[in-house]
Amino acid sequence: MDRGEEKRPDPDRILERIRAEEPRRVGRLKIFFGYAAGVGKTYAMLDEAQELLRRGVDVVAGYIEPHTRPETAQLVSGLPALPPKPVLHKGIELKEFDLDLALERKPEVILVDELAHTNAEGVRNRKRYQDVEELLQAGIDVYTTVNVQHLESLNDVVQSITQVYVRETIPDHLFDYADKVKLIDIEPEELLKRLNEGKVYRPDRAEVAMQHFFTSQNLRLLREIAMRKAADRVSHEHQPELRYTEKTAGVKLLVCISASPSSAKSIRWAARTADAFHAPWTVLYVETKESELVGEEARKQLRSHMELAERLGADIVTLNGHEVAPVVAEYVKHAGITNIVIGKSRNPRTLRSLFESDFADQLIARLGNIELHIIADTAAPLKKSARPAAALGRNLDFSWRHVLTLLALLTAATLVSFGLRAAHLGEQNVMMIYILSVLVISRLTPGYLYGVAGSVLSVLCYNFFFTKPYYTFNAIQAGYPITFVVMLIVALITSALTVRIKTQARLAAERERRTEVLYEINKKLLVTRGLEPIVELTKDYLVRLFHRSAVIYTRDPVDGWDGASFRQAAEEPDASFLMTADERAVAHWVFANQKRAGAGTDTLRGAGGFYMPVMAQSKVLGVIGLSCREGRLLDQNNRIFLRMISSLVAMALERQALSDEQRSILIESEKEKMRSNLLRAISHDLRTPLTGILGASSVLLENEGRLAADVRRKLIADIREDSQWLIRLVENLLSVTRIGESGASVAKTPEAAEEIVAEAISRIRKRFPERRIHVSIPDELLLVPMDGTLIEQVLINLVENAVKHSGADSLIEVTVSRQSGTAVFEVSDNGEGIPAEELPHLFESYVSAEKKRADSSRGMGIGLSICMSIIKAHGGRMEAANKPEGGAVLRFTLPMKGDEAL
Amino acid sequence: MNNRRLILIVEDEDGISNFISAILGSNDYQTVRARTGREAISLAASRSPDLVLLDLGLPDMDGLAVLKALRAWSRVPVIVVSARGHEREKVEALDLGADDYVTKPFGTSELLARIRTALRHNLAAAAEEPGAGAGVLVIGDLTIDDERRRVSRAGAEVHLTPIEYRIVLLLARHAGKVLTHAFICKEIWGPYTNENQALRVNMANIRRKLEENPAEPCYIVTEIGVGYRMVDGAGSA
Repeated sequence: MDRGEEKRPDPDRILERIRAEEPRRVGRLKIFFGYAAGVGKTYAMLDEAQELLRRGVDVVAGYIEPHTRPETAQLVSGLPALPPKPVLHKGIELKEFDLDLALERKPEVILVDELAHTNAEGVRNRKRYQDVEELLQAGIDVYTTVNVQHLESLNDVVQSITQVYVRETIPDHLFDYADKVKLIDIEPEELLKRLNEGKVYRPDRAEVAMQHFFTSQNLRLLREIAMRKAADRVSHEHQPELRYTEKTAGVKLLVCISASPSSAKSIRWAARTADAFHAPWTVLYVETKESELVGEEARKQLRSHMELAERLGADIVTLNGHEVAPVVAEYVKHAGITNIVIGKSRNPRTLRSLFESDFADQLIARLGNIELHIIADTAAPLKKSARPAAALGRNLDFSWRHVLTLLALLTAATLVSFGLRAAHLGEQNVMMIYILSVLVISRLTPGYLYGVAGSVLSVLCYNFFFTKPYYTFNAIQAGYPITFVVMLIVALITSALTVRIKTQARLAAERERRTEVLYEINKKLLVTRGLEPIVELTKDYLVRLFHRSAVIYTRDPVDGWDGASFRQAAEEPDASFLMTADERAVAHWVFANQKRAGAGTDTLRGAGGFYMPVMAQSKVLGVIGLSCREGRLLDQNNRIFLRMISSLVAMALERQALSDEQRSILIESEKEKMRSNLLRAISHDLRTPLTGILGASSVLLENEGRLAADVRRKLIADIREDSQWLIRLVENLLSVTRIGESGASVAKTPEAAEEIVAEAISRIRKRFPERRIHVSIPDELLLVPMDGTLIEQVLINLVENAVKHSGADSLIEVTVSRQSGTAVFEVSDNGEGIPAEELPHLFESYVSAEKKRADSSRGMGIGLSICMSIIKAHGGRMEAANKPEGGAVLRFTLPMKGDEAL
Repeated sequence: MNNRRLILIVEDEDGISNFISAILGSNDYQTVRARTGREAISLAASRSPDLVLLDLGLPDMDGLAVLKALRAWSRVPVIVVSARGHEREKVEALDLGADDYVTKPFGTSELLARIRTALRHNLAAAAEEPGAGAGVLVIGDLTIDDERRRVSRAGAEVHLTPIEYRIVLLLARHAGKVLTHAFICKEIWGPYTNENQALRVNMANIRRKLEENPAEPCYIVTEIGVGYRMVDGAGSA
């Protein structure tokens, strides 16, 4: 047999496997793009749909906005349409696009009008474009309509032109990602005519629209923007490589954002600019001590800025620091930023602004050769009323311990000064002592309060004890006021410094802790093997770091429960709601759509937990869920942290999956090898008896009448012997097939051990009637779960071996006994025993090239290896040994589930 | 006219059919052969054999279907011939009304013994008056006195529980014939019960009481996966 050939895999099968593993086909998006309502986008879309319908494509109208234009309405008829889903909202029944119905129906192409529409509450996704994303993910092609003012990055531009704020936007990446964008264009005059004729809006609304939105000027500008956007796309389409590799002169943008509303504008501008320059851009937010004091409104604003930036494709970085400018400057230097974008709203001039330099000035001062873009914003600035009081409150921690420290230090200082005076070591040092004491007070106590109090008190002490006149509060000498002022300033500065240092130290410590944790997780994950341990480890960390209950799914819950793993956090009330069917549905959605969902996101907001996919190579390996009960949503910081952790977990899971696959491939190839070995051995073993039969029968036939009677008898007896040998072999083979494909499944039923032994022995006796075989069974009945026929086979094989390997007069013993939870079967003889060199290979099915294979050694080889397979498939063990008094003993055990003996 | 019993051999393999015919012929039986199930049914009807040897692996019909057809109108003893490893088939056949079975490849003595047993039981059943007791049964050393409900082995009395006694009696009445687990359970405990475990336990106890060496029973033989058989006094395997 050609060894090389069996190893080479079949190329066709490999191709097939590759093709099957290709990512699911994602649907294609075609956008009908226009610069205003009424240009004819829906009309064009429906027209094309009708064309598709005529060509026999499976087109379905998912949702078409009710139109007043009769021509448009006409086109709708004839198209199969999905009924809209009625949603009750504040007592009014609204009709929304029924996404689930569409997914069920699964047409080739679906029409969904108005991509930027916001869905009513109660619908799974917040925005219609998310519905469309789901459709695309499911492999359905989508036609949709978009107006230019709905694009996120153009939103503010359009707003400034038309003075109309459009709230419904779609992220630009959808537009860029679309397969085709068809620009629908008409002259503005034509559009105005249509408006007048009531073809766009109803006449009463048309009047209003004309005044604000639909002026000739506006329309022209909008048209220009739309055309430019479409043109951009065309040029991008034709230069795909440039899009990804060309970075114009190494431009890198950074946008500094705060909770102020002007940040949104900066972000959008940066997005457009970055797009134009093909440059990467980052959004930076610096957390200072003050940022902890902002109100809920500001926090929400900040979160929406970050989400906007994310949608537009920026990297988001959050840093901590005492002041914003130095932190930004550091980052700029390290990250190689070339352009900085900041927003500026007109702050009312306060006393503070006299002392603080402008943020822009600060940056320029630190960074010199940097391009700074300032985006002015005329929106109302953030209310600052809440801040100062809170700030003051923070720094006015009051605790008796610190008061004691203060008093103790002052007393010490006073006493030392007294000592100095008594020792005549110079009174000027007294001041130094007090200043020193103030320093120490500021160092040891938190906040400004104690430092300032300390300085005031020390001044008073100094006045009382050490200035003439002694023991009064008068300050006579001219210089004393200056001393007092200096001491006060010293105290204030030291306190301020100490406060800042402490804060920085705290922030740095927190940052370091985070990094350390990530490093630790990474290290642990690297050495963890096995899906279970990885999941356990991850759960541990999640609960520890986020102080919330966590649930991890390693398989889509629609496939079954066992993929979910839940851990309750000690700090939380019962979070077992994470395991309810509703939450599992959210996890299933995340699996299917590869995006996060749940509390705090745009999808399935009503869920009790926040769910994030663990992805590697655009495959979802798992889903992590954190409990957000009682409204404790995850802030941006935590989300980023969670994302970092999840990428580590993704790597570990992927590695695990690969190693599992490798192992199963190894097992498969092992089995193949075993099987071909077995076949080889069997065919070899078949030939011998067949040769004998053929030979003997031929002799008998050809020499009819010429052979002596006893010779004839011998030949016929040989034929019979060989036939019986073949029967045994065939029975062994049949046993192998009963074991089953996986090699581990055997159909077990409780059988009485003694009955099996009895039948096996009786069959042996039929073949070897003259051999001495002694059988002993225990008094109790042993009911052992087994496949009776297979175990009988094993016993027959073993006893036959004993027969073949021991002398004609030796005694063969078969015993059954019970040891704790297993049944033990032993077959022993007192023949020559097993040669030492064969003992380790006894149960392998080798095709031995031993020439000294005498007749009697035919029992070895396949028989024993099959026995081993059978016993293993039962979950038992088999071994062979030589008895000290001579002879061999073969022993196997079978587990007895539970106590089944009487 | 002709005293020899007629045996219908239903077997599609010529080789096997030949040698069975030869054996039976030399043992004073008359034989007739069928190669397919349909042929078997029609021959059984027309020739009215004393025993049918039915191979379960027939080409045109399922052997069990032939058995069912036969049993619909005839109580002729049927011995099924099956291949090793198809236990369930055997049990099904026995439950459907077959009297015994042999497994391919079989020894001739085994086959002859089974045929003898089946014929004997059939005659006995035909001659039986309904409701009569079995009287005294003797099997080798074993004596079962039904009127006095006593079992003794080589003269010494053996004490059996009521259930054990009923089992032993049942087996003895059908000595030489295999009885499936299901059959025994039905007879002893009634239909619609599953007392397999109890049966094993009882059999173990019976063995320990009756047999010299319970590990090598000579009176009641276990047929793995099928049932039990009490050996025939006339010496069968």
